[in-house]
Amino acid sequence: MFLLDILKKPPETLRGHLDDFIADTLARCTRCGKCYEACPMTRYSEGLSNADAKQVVSGVLDWLKQTPGNAESVAWLKVCTQSAKCADACPEGINAMKMVRVGQMSAMGSLGLPAEQAKLSGREAKDFFRVINAYSQTQMSAGQVEKWQR
Amino acid sequence: MSASEKITFWYGCNVVRHGDIIHGAIALLEAVGIEVTPAGGAGYCCGTAKDGNLRAAEGMAKRTVEKFNAHGTGQVVSWCASCDRHMNGFMGEYTQPQFELSHFTQILHARRDVLAAKLTRRVERKVMLHRHFGFHEVDVNPLVEDLLRLVPGLTLVESGTAAPGHMCSALSRVPAALKDVTRGLCDEAVARGADTVATVFHSCHRLLCALEGSEPFKVVNYVNLLTESMGLEFHDDYKSWKLAGSEEAVIATVGRERVAAMGEKLFRESMLPELLKQPVK
Repeated sequence: MFLLDILKKPPETLRGHLDDFIADTLARCTRCGKCYEACPMTRYSEGLSNADAKQVVSGVLDWLKQTPGNAESVAWLKVCTQSAKCADACPEGINAMKMVRVGQMSAMGSLGLPAEQAKLSGREAKDFFRVINAYSQTQMSAGQVEKWQR
Repeated sequence: MSASEKITFWYGCNVVRHGDIIHGAIALLEAVGIEVTPAGGAGYCCGTAKDGNLRAAEGMAKRTVEKFNAHGTGQVVSWCASCDRHMNGFMGEYTQPQFELSHFTQILHARRDVLAAKLTRRVERKVMLHRHFGFHEVDVNPLVEDLLRLVPGLTLVESGTAAPGHMCSALSRVPAALKDVTRGLCDEAVARGADTVATVFHSCHRLLCALEGSEPFKVVNYVNLLTESMGLEFHDDYKSWKLAGSEEAVIATVGRERVAAMGEKLFRESMLPELLKQPVK
């Protein structure tokens, strides 16, 4: 196994990286719930008022496995603000903040779940790049936009 | 990094609302002896907002890394916490970056002795920093506080709180949390007698700058406090627009010609609502 790890090529695609991250997280996570317990945002969700930490984490891991997770896991994914407290709390050294984010991606349907099973929508604002380009016009010269942003 | 080294300054996407921050940050980097290649906007997007479309996210990430590699500076200095996090946590994992990534605060802080000599103008303000605890890759709060302590005349009021998330934009998905943070910030600034709240990141500035209209303190990005001490002035257009008030006043402040150039429909549908939205506490 060790030799295989050494010989393994680094991923060349985002999906390849996510698959590696998911496999590593599923292998190492003990479902202890410390990440959830450290989260400063849970009080902002009614759906988490009586939630069991281990159950919530199990639900997030289900999302990583591309299986719809429980309602509590969806509630947690929704209130994540990337405070990183979860990452610091994990006794296994898992980047739990990234785990949650990849869980969000799965719950958006980005990893392959059918659209009808998706529970979250993407977070890109309407007209995002058109707005960015419009603001740029007001804050930079045409030459700066051309030189700095093309 | 040596004094003569070149860097790519990756300012990001959403910060383009705040030209004062971008131009001020470039002036600060140049003031400490760095040759800057600015890069940002849609053409250098990290793709962090594309979690719902991984093919697009990957394409944007690869393109941006390839462009940075082509710059050949070997050093990319980020401004945005989201971009920095996305490069470290995702983009750099499946691309071949040929550069080191640092954060703007780290670069300035490492050269604070050089910077201090340039900060000659007194800035008579009592400043409290608006802090977050989510950007765990770089502990920016003490770095920025150290930089602000270099400014003659400026009194730094220690803040006892920090908001969750890496920037306020992350909180906007949980409106009750953003409201709590905003209220807490206002209460603390008043209690500590601050006349200025300094923002670190652009998204906090975007969401908080209009507090000036109702609170007894100014909201200024720390870059502008540093450049003010250098004798440079970069006007905060965005704050003027946010403080304008009515729809007509916003349009008049932005300027009808500029609105027309941006596209009246785009401005009214996708920009005006943001400019009219006020902080809630």
